[in-house]
Amino acid sequence: MGMLKDKDVLLKIRDLHIEGYSDEEWIEIVHGVDLTLHRGEVLGLIGESGAGKSTIGLAAMGFARDGCRISGGSVEFDGMELTTTPKSDLRALRGSRIAYVAQSAAASFNPAHKIIEQHIEAPLHYRIQKRVEAQEDAMALYERLRLPNPREIGFRYPHQVSGGQLQRAMTAMAMACRPDLIIFDEPTTALDVTTQIEVLAAIRDIVDQFNTAAIYITHDLAVVAQMADTIKVLLKGNEVEEAPTEQMLESPEDDYTKSLWAVRSFKREQKSRPTDGSPPVVSVQDVDAAYGETKVLEDVSFDIYPGMTVAVVGESGSGKSTTARCITGLLPPLKGKILFNGEEMPPRYQDRSWEQLRQVQMIYQMADTALNPKVRISDIIGRPAEFYGGLKGTELKSRVDELLDLIELDPKKFYNRYPPELSGGQKQRIGIARALAAEPQFIICDEVTSALDQLVAEGILRLLDKLQDELNLAYMFITHDLATVRSIADEVVVMQQGRVVEQGPKDAMFRPPHHPYTDLLLSSVPEMDPNWLTTLLEERGVDNIGEAAEV
Amino acid sequence: MNMFVLGYYAFLIGLSCLAAYYNKRSAFLLLFSLTLASFVLGIVGGESALHAIAASAAILALAAGTSYAFREFLVMITPHETARELRTAPLTASFGMFVIFTYAIAGVFAPIIAPFGEGEVIAGAFAPADDTMLLGADQLGRDMFSRIIYGARNSVGLALIATMLAFIMGAAAGMLAATRGGWLDQFLGRFADVIMSVPSLIFSLLMLSIFGTNLAVIVIVVAVIYAPRVFRLTRAVAGNVVVMDYIEAAKLRGEGTWYLIRKEILPNSTAPLIAEFGLEFCFVFLLIAGLSFLGLGIQPPTADWGSMVRENATLISFGELTPLIPAAAIALLTVSVNFVVDWMLYRSSGLKG
Amino acid sequence: MGDVLKLVAKRLGLGLVTLLVVSILIFFAVELLPGDIAQAVLGQSATEETVQAMREQLGLDRAAPIRYLDWLAGAVQGDFGVSLVSGERVSEAIGGRFANTLFLAAYAAVIAVPIAIILGIAVALFRNSIFDRVANVLTLTSISSPEFFLGYVLILFFAVRSSMFPAIASISDGMSFGDLLYRSFLPALTLVLVVVAHMMRMTRAAIINLLASPYIEMARLKGAPPWKVIVHHALPNAWAPIINVVALNLAYLITGVVLVEVVFVYPGVGQLLVDAVSKRDFPIVQACCLVFAATFILLNLAADVGAILTNPRLRHPK
Repeated sequence: MGMLKDKDVLLKIRDLHIEGYSDEEWIEIVHGVDLTLHRGEVLGLIGESGAGKSTIGLAAMGFARDGCRISGGSVEFDGMELTTTPKSDLRALRGSRIAYVAQSAAASFNPAHKIIEQHIEAPLHYRIQKRVEAQEDAMALYERLRLPNPREIGFRYPHQVSGGQLQRAMTAMAMACRPDLIIFDEPTTALDVTTQIEVLAAIRDIVDQFNTAAIYITHDLAVVAQMADTIKVLLKGNEVEEAPTEQMLESPEDDYTKSLWAVRSFKREQKSRPTDGSPPVVSVQDVDAAYGETKVLEDVSFDIYPGMTVAVVGESGSGKSTTARCITGLLPPLKGKILFNGEEMPPRYQDRSWEQLRQVQMIYQMADTALNPKVRISDIIGRPAEFYGGLKGTELKSRVDELLDLIELDPKKFYNRYPPELSGGQKQRIGIARALAAEPQFIICDEVTSALDQLVAEGILRLLDKLQDELNLAYMFITHDLATVRSIADEVVVMQQGRVVEQGPKDAMFRPPHHPYTDLLLSSVPEMDPNWLTTLLEERGVDNIGEAAEV
Repeated sequence: MNMFVLGYYAFLIGLSCLAAYYNKRSAFLLLFSLTLASFVLGIVGGESALHAIAASAAILALAAGTSYAFREFLVMITPHETARELRTAPLTASFGMFVIFTYAIAGVFAPIIAPFGEGEVIAGAFAPADDTMLLGADQLGRDMFSRIIYGARNSVGLALIATMLAFIMGAAAGMLAATRGGWLDQFLGRFADVIMSVPSLIFSLLMLSIFGTNLAVIVIVVAVIYAPRVFRLTRAVAGNVVVMDYIEAAKLRGEGTWYLIRKEILPNSTAPLIAEFGLEFCFVFLLIAGLSFLGLGIQPPTADWGSMVRENATLISFGELTPLIPAAAIALLTVSVNFVVDWMLYRSSGLKG
Repeated sequence: MGDVLKLVAKRLGLGLVTLLVVSILIFFAVELLPGDIAQAVLGQSATEETVQAMREQLGLDRAAPIRYLDWLAGAVQGDFGVSLVSGERVSEAIGGRFANTLFLAAYAAVIAVPIAIILGIAVALFRNSIFDRVANVLTLTSISSPEFFLGYVLILFFAVRSSMFPAIASISDGMSFGDLLYRSFLPALTLVLVVVAHMMRMTRAAIINLLASPYIEMARLKGAPPWKVIVHHALPNAWAPIINVVALNLAYLITGVVLVEVVFVYPGVGQLLVDAVSKRDFPIVQACCLVFAATFILLNLAADVGAILTNPRLRHPK
């Protein structure tokens, strides 16, 4: 890290064009990207989904996924032109001189072989090391990456090892032949924030030690700020700009880049509970719940007041979504009750009245699975209005138009279309409109922005805020993203392993002293400062980052 | 070495060279491997083997040409959306569609097309083909060609009815099981397992031995045997749809089972179900043909392809092709349906593989 | 390992229950006859005395569940009662023939299984090439053809026109093994043609299904050559579906055997069953059905157990 040790060029990509095959024709998805990487340099490739980051990363290995092809330009690796090199020679580069670390380590390790067997496959194949040597080397790498039991962990099968450990094992595997270049394709996206830190630290460490060049692909600016010497911003297959990390963070030039940096600026006034003594819209009281034998919720209680947003925060498996299932009645609680405006609701949704069902609506994380692809937009939005309100004919049509206006989509353009024709943000808006059509008092938003690009997510947050003001809605906002919490929440509930560890107004939550888990959660969220990771590691102490975070 | 053999090899080698020159890799591989295979076959089987290869190649070329023309014809007469889909059909699929189309015509207009009646005795037993009888006579002196045409109506019609019955029962149960879940799902699943754990032919033989071999019994027995297969597929397809968030949203809205099936699940399961219908038809058709062949299916004098094979089987030992014709008619239809289904499955699987 | 044993035991139990339910189905299906067995077998013209005599002989005066238990107890010991037509013991009628049927099925399986798996892997390796497409058309044609069509085509070409093999597979006890193989070659080949096509397609599908997995892409990005990607990375994960395919097809052989036996006049259970069905000889029909169903269930059981045992997640629990 830091300054480049020498200036010789390792990878030179010029005017790269890549095409993808869809609907019987080839469509260009990368339009002439240039890229230069020196030995030992780490380049951050950043962009939203569909920007072509991964495709370019794979092209740097001379590889195109099925249904993609490199249609023009040149990829020169250490003086070798990869676009014209025969397949067998290309193959000889992969794993030995250029290695790849995939997004999901759990899916990218072969379930049928032991981890170390997969690790030593490339060194044995290229006859770099003998079997025993290769195994010793693997164990040494595991130790360097601070995996627990480095001499033993390799002899386990992938499913016997946790996600964060697998990701480090995969980084070790990429290092097996001491490549000149490693492509990291969103290596921490699938991990929880507290696990992410150790993987980031391990990757940075090892890349530094072996002076390996790397292309680090991510959509998370704060992460790339920790890892890269240089950052390149991509948008829809085009380069936007490229600059050294600090310069890029301090003074981005392009408007698009500036907007990316500014994304987390949306913040609104924090509201406090009404003082007129009105009951909470939803009150969760001492709820326990279980899936079969395994208990997932224990003694969960919190209140949500009219017109307020309560963010429920926690990592995967903390019970956030299960709590939502209890409130909607999909999972009847073992004990405890759910009150709505002071009245107890039947635990099973089948036993609730239409009126009770109408008052609690839900917006889902994946807009793709939340909207029926074979149903017209007008029917998706219109159905709740027809079902609860008994609207028909022109009345129904004007109600749908009104709802489309409310979510800022042009009724004329969207009335007759189907979900697959819409973009992610538009779909999410339709999901919101469907919830609004029932005219509820309370909406559960389950990770509604986490599948969206940052700019689009920002738009959704602003819309939800506007609707809350206009319609006096109460939101339960399930999220793992603390930036979202900062911008929209009034109150915060922190959950860990099925229990509420802390709750209170937002400003109190973000100010110390915290519960230790809240502290860990808060401090683990990457910040835009390039020195954040270094400082944090010093604070926590190096020995502490590994397993401490996994407890 | 005569002119035919020389010409044969010259033609193949010439074509191979052309393919190689124009960089048509797969065409070259095919042509050249055919050339090499011809060398071996030519040495082993002599000139007649080469004649056979040339004849098969000509038939294949004819079939390919017909399929191509038929696809263009379909593309031209269908509306835009369908035409776009059809354009992606490989030649095998359009061949399949052509055959299915032909069979449908033969079945519907059987009395007009067939020169003689189904049971009409017009000549001596096993009389050879002549001007009036295209394919000769069968063991009772009935016109073979007419009986094959009528067979299209009887055999295919019966199989279609049985398939539809199986499909209605299986699909309804599958959708219901997927939507309702719980004990109903468990019970139907176990029930299907039990029926499917008896081999289909054996099960139908048992049932036919008890209830006798009339048409209604055959249809019901076959439908009962194949309904569990449809049930399993529908259950799986609908099961994938049921876990979607939009179904949860609809359930939480308070929608009933019937609405869920009709509006939310069915529109998302049609493609695999249509393909399954084709496959199911093949199974049912083959099973009924098998039963008829064993003399336990459609009973004489009704013209039916399975029984026709059985009735004329003795001719085989004289090296006659006649008994093979109804069998080939069965094979041709199942192959065709399979070709079309194969294409549909390939389309709906998202062009993987 | 405890989990695996538990799963296997559970599966075995389920198989046993299924077999029991099937036996109930087979026995009581006959009870559905209009009237009773005696009347059905003897027909309308029979006098009241003869029908009554037969009822007594069959013990029809006892309640059906008791007769079922008797029948089941006998069946477990290999005693299926007496044929209504010939008066021969059912077990004797079936015994030798069942061995013949098993021989034919095993003969076909021994040829078909290795060929199908190797060819299936090969077409998966060369997927989307011209050979893959030709193989696709050929296998589709083969599975679409009724067994009797393939059988007669083989007879026509290999027995009648070139007389390389006998058209009628008459085998008897005293024959040498080589002679047995020679005489039953054509029926076995017919079965092989159908089953190989099926297994090949399903093996190919099982492997290709896996090729989209991230770990296969990872293997490619580690520089593994195509054959190694298939054999070392895809195949170990494809065993469960492949074992299933093999079991399914072996089970299919059992059914297919009936038609092929009739075509080649092969002295197996199939022939016997067809005769018994047309003569309404219920004890034989029931016995054959039970034997076939048991084999079928056993094979499916073996497949499931095989799938459990080859799953690394189950074999190496956390």
